[in-house]
Amino acid sequence: MNWITEGPEIFYFGASLWFLLLTFAAPQKPVSNGGRRREYLSAILLASVGILVCLASVRAEGWLFIRAYSVDLFSQVFKTLLSLGLFLIVSLCGSISDIDERRHNEFYFLLFSCTLALMLLVSADHLLSIYLSLELSSYSLYILVALRKRRALGLEAGIKYFLTGSFAAAVMLFGMALLYSSCGTAYLPDMAKVLPGLISRPTVIMGLLFTLGGFFFKLAVFPFHSWAPDAYQGASNQVAGYIATASKVAAIAVVLRVLASAGHGSAYLVHVLVILSVVSMTLGNLAAIVQKDLKRLLAFSTTAHSGYVLIALLVLDPAGYSAAIFYALALLVMKFTVFMVIVELAPDGRNLQIEELAGLHKRSPIMALALLVALFSLAGIPPTVGFTGKFLIFTAAIQKGYVALVIIAMINVVISLYYYLLVIKAAYLLEPAEALPPLLVSFPKKLLAGFSIVGIVVAGFFPYWLIQIANAAVLPLFGGR
Amino acid sequence: MHMEPATFPFLSAILLSCVVGMLTIMVIPEERHVLIKQVSIFFSGVCLLLTLYVFFAFNRSLGGLQFVEQVSWIPTLGISYFNAVDGFSLPNLLLTGIVFFTGVLTMWELNTRVKEYFALYFLLVTGVFGLFMSMDLFFIFVWYDVSLFPMYLLIAIWGTTRKEYGAMKLTLYLLAGSALILPAIIFLWAKSGLNTFSFVSLMHPGMFSPADQKFAFLLLFLGFGILAAVWPMHTWSPDGHVAAPHGVSMVHAGVLMKIGSFGVLRVAIMLCPLGWIYWAKSMAVLAVIGIIYGALVGLRQTDLKYVIGYSSVSHMGVVGLGLSTVTVAGLNGAVFQMFAHGIMTALLFSSVGYIYDRTHTKLIPELGGLSRIMPVASAFFILAALAGVGLPGLANFWGELLVFLAAFKVYPLFGVIGVVTLVITALFMLRVVQKTFYGPANARFAGLPDVSPWLGTPRIILAAVLLILGLYPSLLFNVIRTASVPFMNGLPR
Repeated sequence: MNWITEGPEIFYFGASLWFLLLTFAAPQKPVSNGGRRREYLSAILLASVGILVCLASVRAEGWLFIRAYSVDLFSQVFKTLLSLGLFLIVSLCGSISDIDERRHNEFYFLLFSCTLALMLLVSADHLLSIYLSLELSSYSLYILVALRKRRALGLEAGIKYFLTGSFAAAVMLFGMALLYSSCGTAYLPDMAKVLPGLISRPTVIMGLLFTLGGFFFKLAVFPFHSWAPDAYQGASNQVAGYIATASKVAAIAVVLRVLASAGHGSAYLVHVLVILSVVSMTLGNLAAIVQKDLKRLLAFSTTAHSGYVLIALLVLDPAGYSAAIFYALALLVMKFTVFMVIVELAPDGRNLQIEELAGLHKRSPIMALALLVALFSLAGIPPTVGFTGKFLIFTAAIQKGYVALVIIAMINVVISLYYYLLVIKAAYLLEPAEALPPLLVSFPKKLLAGFSIVGIVVAGFFPYWLIQIANAAVLPLFGGR
Repeated sequence: MHMEPATFPFLSAILLSCVVGMLTIMVIPEERHVLIKQVSIFFSGVCLLLTLYVFFAFNRSLGGLQFVEQVSWIPTLGISYFNAVDGFSLPNLLLTGIVFFTGVLTMWELNTRVKEYFALYFLLVTGVFGLFMSMDLFFIFVWYDVSLFPMYLLIAIWGTTRKEYGAMKLTLYLLAGSALILPAIIFLWAKSGLNTFSFVSLMHPGMFSPADQKFAFLLLFLGFGILAAVWPMHTWSPDGHVAAPHGVSMVHAGVLMKIGSFGVLRVAIMLCPLGWIYWAKSMAVLAVIGIIYGALVGLRQTDLKYVIGYSSVSHMGVVGLGLSTVTVAGLNGAVFQMFAHGIMTALLFSSVGYIYDRTHTKLIPELGGLSRIMPVASAFFILAALAGVGLPGLANFWGELLVFLAAFKVYPLFGVIGVVTLVITALFMLRVVQKTFYGPANARFAGLPDVSPWLGTPRIILAAVLLILGLYPSLLFNVIRTASVPFMNGLPR
């Protein structure tokens, strides 16, 4: 075993341990009394080193645990995305007032261990290892959601999330059992050999769909989406941001791995996915229109975006999968940028209503611009990374003949534009009832906002390099190198 | 098709001066209004000079594609950054240059949120320029959207009269158009099997089966048709016109609507000629309804800007009718009319802008007798209105003449209806002129100043263009012909 192969996992394991150890350390002076933010500084340091570790091991290949765990370009690209997601979210935790100060160590411990679990998930190549890592990440998230200082909100959301989550996990486990009983194996590469021959069997289709259901829960695809608005609303802004970014990225990865083993799939499977995709998009977008709470709006828009991702997945070919990987990156950056603005605007950690954005263009032009660019990117307006992602998805789908599906998706894009424009209107047009002071944005935050804006536009306008990475990352799924 | 590579990337230079202008404006502090406006005039002036150079340097005897720049962009999908001009796009490029520059001058008196206004305005125009010069379907779509989304903020922030409603309606309508265009473009890409979005490679007769052409043409015509305000998808356009600030109305009616008709011509007609021939009759019906409807509804309006908005629907119907004749004369007339209408509406909105800024009303009953108070400002409006009526000696005459001549041959009935409607148009334009500028003067506006030479500059430029092209139309026809004649000759019959 080569150390660098398992570098990211070992690193994040170590980082989680560090925070676990910190919980035993003597409590320090609170920040308000001039205490240093030991946890935050070490978290941001560890998270940034984590990106480097992931980048260093991006070319690594190997297997572990009797091939139940494979390290390939696919998994390493996703691990890099995850480490980036963690870093971005941690960078928002500078003044995380919505988590009890005594719990900060636990907060970071759970954040890092959840990232570790997600990293295990994208490498898992066996039904059992998938299940284990998925549950590890879910349990961290349940606690993270409930950790909020506003007890009633946090606990309610945590319990809702936990109950629906464990139900989804049970469904998934049942599906896995069905798959195993039909295929006689639980290794994904071995299943890939037998599944295409068995795919028209009812048990296999049921098994596959139930298994996917567990992942769709993470993606908030209809009908597994009902937890998302409550969890987003109940969780602290940073945790909601984490669920919206890193957790989605990993979910896309694991769906890709499982679907890739199904080969060309069957008509039934594709039909179900088409229906789920259409309903997710439409329902998500329509429900988002009436939201007043920005985080709830984002939760429903997540469901809509999962609908778009499903289009890329149901194409069941490398072009679609590579589009899904690109879109995962796009989602990460766009959603993060919106959450960054939320965190900036609600320093006390309250839930932000859309009307509270009023006057943002005056209070902080850079944050307003970041919000504008991110929302246009979410709506899929060029030249942004969100548009390029959708474009890749749609080319993959139309090449397979799904013209009607793409037209439905584009109509949904127009619907979604309506509520994104309402948010933009609040930020650029509305004036607050009483004049609010300018927002004091620290220099690093300004830098971060600037990078997000430039990143969204540049990755949208010059995407070729990223597309090549996505194309290369898909190859291992099909046994190629 | 003949392709003449560029010795210097003039087309990219146009785009670059827009982008650099936008970035420069963004770094200037908000308070320095005059500096922002000077910078805007400088960069839009550079754009105008570059488009003028390209227009006059275009080799009219050679034709084909000139000033070609091509760089591979996303090779895996066959996307390239591919700019060129031909006889169809060159008039539109020049139109954009002129309206852009005069639009900046028209907004010289803007005082609120100046920096954001000009930055968004430059972004909008970047998209328009890009669309007219791009020869790659992917980029055509990208530029299309880039030219649309700044509209929302431009109208919603600086507009008047139900601005938020107008802005939202316009944005959603136009993006609904893009919802049809994008699938159609990708559909053509997939069907060609060449893995290229390059317009030149896709534009070969027999590239797509007749059934595919009919399907794709329908999507593209509906998609771009929304932007061209084809009846019954026009309702966004009067509302948007009225709500927008004057400079944006100018770009919007003058140039943005031309994107729609240009898109129909460039993408739908040139890539799916069989679909075009198949749907031509339906296009003609919609166009004629638009001509009549716009004129009749315009007759009843009391808001000056609504009048212009509905006259635009009518005039764009003329463009649509020209495109639906499937003749060289029809295409020539349509493209000429696009240019002439662009200049004319820009002049109308610019004049109304001046009047509104002084009187703070654009309701016809409240105005009246303005020609005694501000004779010069009124003269500009009256000149543009006469051009809209189709007075010989002004540019619009030639476009309408050619379109109706072609229509008489192909659809005699529609030709007659169209010409009869011109009388209604004349009636409503003259009614507006009479009620607004003649009759008893409203005492409230008695002391208002007339246009100063500096503020009159944009209107003088536009009026001059109308006159020059009215007297010397072959300046434009010689260019358009280089594209329309070879295209119609290459059409499968």
